[in-house]
Amino acid sequence: MKDRLEIKNLSKHFGDKLVLDNLSFHVNSGEFLSILGPSGCGKTTLLRILIGVETCDSGLILKDGQDIAPLTPIERGMGIVFQNYALFPNMTVLGNVMYALKNNKKTRPKARERALDIIERVGLTEHINKRPHKLSGGQQQRVAIARTLAVNPDIVLFDEPMSALDAANRIALRKEFKQIQKEFNITMIYITHDQEEAFAMSDRIMVMSEGHIEQIDTPRNLYQHPCNEYVEEFVGWQLKEKIKSIADTTGMFE
Amino acid sequence: MSGALIHRIRTHNYALPLIICLFFLMTVILPTGSMLTKIDWSKIGSYVSTDLFRESLINSLIVSSISTVITLILATLMAFCVHRTRIKFRYGFSILFTLPMLIPSISIGIGMINLFGDNGIVSKLTGLVPGIYGPLGIILGSVLYCIPVAFLMIGDVLKYTDYGPYEAAKILGISPFKQFLSITLPGLRGTLISACFAVFTLCFTDYGVPLAVGGRFSTLPVYLYRDVIGLLDFSKGAFVGTILLLPAVVAFIIDLARSREQTTNFVKTAFRVSKSKLRDTLAFVFSCLNALFLVLFVGSFVVMSVITKYPIDMSFTLEHIQGVFNRGLLSYFGNSLFIALMTAIFGTVLTYLTAFFTARIESKVVGKVAHLISMLSLAIPGIVLGLSYVILFNGTPIYGTFIILIMVCIIHFFANPYLMAYNAFQKFNRNFEIVGKTLGISSFKIMLRVFIPSTLSTIIKMASYYFMNTMITVSAVAFLFNAMTKPLSMFIADFTGQMMYEAAAVVSIIIFLTNVIVRASSALTAKMLKKKGIG
Ligand SMILES: Nc1ncnc2c1ncn2[C@@H]1O[C@H](COP(=O)(O)OP(=O)(O)O)[C@@H](O)[C@H]1O
Ligand SMILES: [Mg+2]
Repeated sequence: MKDRLEIKNLSKHFGDKLVLDNLSFHVNSGEFLSILGPSGCGKTTLLRILIGVETCDSGLILKDGQDIAPLTPIERGMGIVFQNYALFPNMTVLGNVMYALKNNKKTRPKARERALDIIERVGLTEHINKRPHKLSGGQQQRVAIARTLAVNPDIVLFDEPMSALDAANRIALRKEFKQIQKEFNITMIYITHDQEEAFAMSDRIMVMSEGHIEQIDTPRNLYQHPCNEYVEEFVGWQLKEKIKSIADTTGMFE
Repeated sequence: MSGALIHRIRTHNYALPLIICLFFLMTVILPTGSMLTKIDWSKIGSYVSTDLFRESLINSLIVSSISTVITLILATLMAFCVHRTRIKFRYGFSILFTLPMLIPSISIGIGMINLFGDNGIVSKLTGLVPGIYGPLGIILGSVLYCIPVAFLMIGDVLKYTDYGPYEAAKILGISPFKQFLSITLPGLRGTLISACFAVFTLCFTDYGVPLAVGGRFSTLPVYLYRDVIGLLDFSKGAFVGTILLLPAVVAFIIDLARSREQTTNFVKTAFRVSKSKLRDTLAFVFSCLNALFLVLFVGSFVVMSVITKYPIDMSFTLEHIQGVFNRGLLSYFGNSLFIALMTAIFGTVLTYLTAFFTARIESKVVGKVAHLISMLSLAIPGIVLGLSYVILFNGTPIYGTFIILIMVCIIHFFANPYLMAYNAFQKFNRNFEIVGKTLGISSFKIMLRVFIPSTLSTIIKMASYYFMNTMITVSAVAFLFNAMTKPLSMFIADFTGQMMYEAAAVVSIIIFLTNVIVRASSALTAKMLKKKGIG
């Protein structure tokens, strides 16, 4: 697996406050990387810098070996999905997904075709003419994903996309996210503060605290070999019981 | 250049903030600034020692203070009747109570003459002739002129109050009267202070009411108009203008301080009005009396328009209407419609763009400055703004054209439509623009394709606000029109000068009806859009 994204010595202040402290990490091509950390630790800020709507004070972001600092968000080939969907309220499902395609000369001729195809793949074909407020939260989040996928990004960033959903919808969407990732062969960076979610979906998890990276590793290693007490505490306390019960019955973590 | 800097320049649009700043510089900062620099400070002593100036200032202070107190008491009571009782026709009352907003202040003065003048309708009915020309007429007229503003301000607070504290008090067994003292009044205090300054400023700087019913009683705006501008003494004019600006500046600072103390208080439980027969009976009687007065007030214009000579010759006639047409009504009406329409179109575009910029584009310093200046325009009284335009633009090509009238109206009424748009923008998801950027859609396109279609009803409200207020403004245009560009409100002023109250009534009714039509159709359209789920 080659590096899709490499972050080197990234720092960011807001006024006097150091929000991101010299972060370095890489993301593999086709990987599902979760960024896990408590609220306020700098996850959203990191994501805003990656996507290009916020600048960093120092550091490098390389995508496929190229420095993307001077590129606009669209030129970076990254998509983004938010917790609150951010769907355009006056447009239908089809309108939302098709809008960016119609806006671009190259994609305009096949805009409708491509939009319909993607909508079908996220399972919303019967809703194409509805406006967002008529859909459930889970459906709206699928529309937001379809809208992002329409412009064909290599990397999709998620900022706590499931926080507004109920438990049943979350579990259903987890599977779908993984499926979409495989099908479209994209790299996903997934922000969450929910340990269970991160463990269920990720290839690797990056645990953050107050602007630092504490550990970045596979879920299994994080659980079995936490590198310090913080990680152990943070990933452990909620999961331990659950995993124990799973382990007892399946022997999965023997 | 560093990558980050290139990135900044490539992703930020600098054209809009630049245009907005230039626009405010030209239309707000420079005019008011040039007015302040026009004052010849060495002559202040001679200005202040003028008898007429001192008399006018004292008169203005006295009638404005009295009018403010009466207005606040009545408006608070009216707002309570409409929002905190269970009386019938509450919606109808609330519409009636804001009717005076649809006609110029000069017409309100004329209405006082129609009702209480020597031959007034009420005077004849009751046999009392109160001597309306002078302070009494100005106070009555000013109260009527300001009640809608205060009523709406106070009503808004009463309407959007959380019921939680009241419920808690009720459970604790605290009497309604004590609840009023300990919950309602403190909740209203800030708004009452704001309303107090807003109303005082309106009365203090209004030129229309004293023009119609002032008689020999001079107020500061009348003094400014008759004895200063008439003589082209701009230094003295600027001095008087500055005095007229003072209460508005105080009001502005107080509002600014208040906006900081105000935390967003969410209405968790809508207010529930308890049952009280006594309260409702009193409220109903009070509301009916006010409504009756307002109906009489509006009716008096109709009576004056179509009765030959009230009360001497009570025959029906179209002679007054005909007369007004013969004196060129249509061309002045055309002027007014043109100015109001242009103001509505350009004003709405400008306020919308400014609000889009301050509410949606992340630019801290420029955005805050633009927001502040937008609100500042509310603080500058029309008469001061008009005067400062005279001083700055006198001798330039736009002077004496429609352009300057449209400009002054756009700025004078800027704050409210701006706030309507600003609040509408605030309600949208913060992430639209980021999503747009990752999809290759510019913020401007998002505005065109997402915000405008979703805020149509707000846009209609903004445009109709601009239109109706421009139709009625006296103060803002009084210094700036000429024979070619004279609007209807100034046409009325011609008639009051000649004591032709019938003709003045006809023109007032025309303005009133025009605004009723605009208001009703804008309300209907907004309702229709809402039904369709837009805006
Ligand atoms: N625009 C900003 N200006 C100042 N401080 C900010 C800004 N955005 C975020 N912060 C601060 O940076 C820290 C990290 O915020 P954020 O990245 O949103 O955290 P998270 O997404 O992990 O909850 C917080 O303390 C937050 O208050
Ligand atoms: Mg966050």
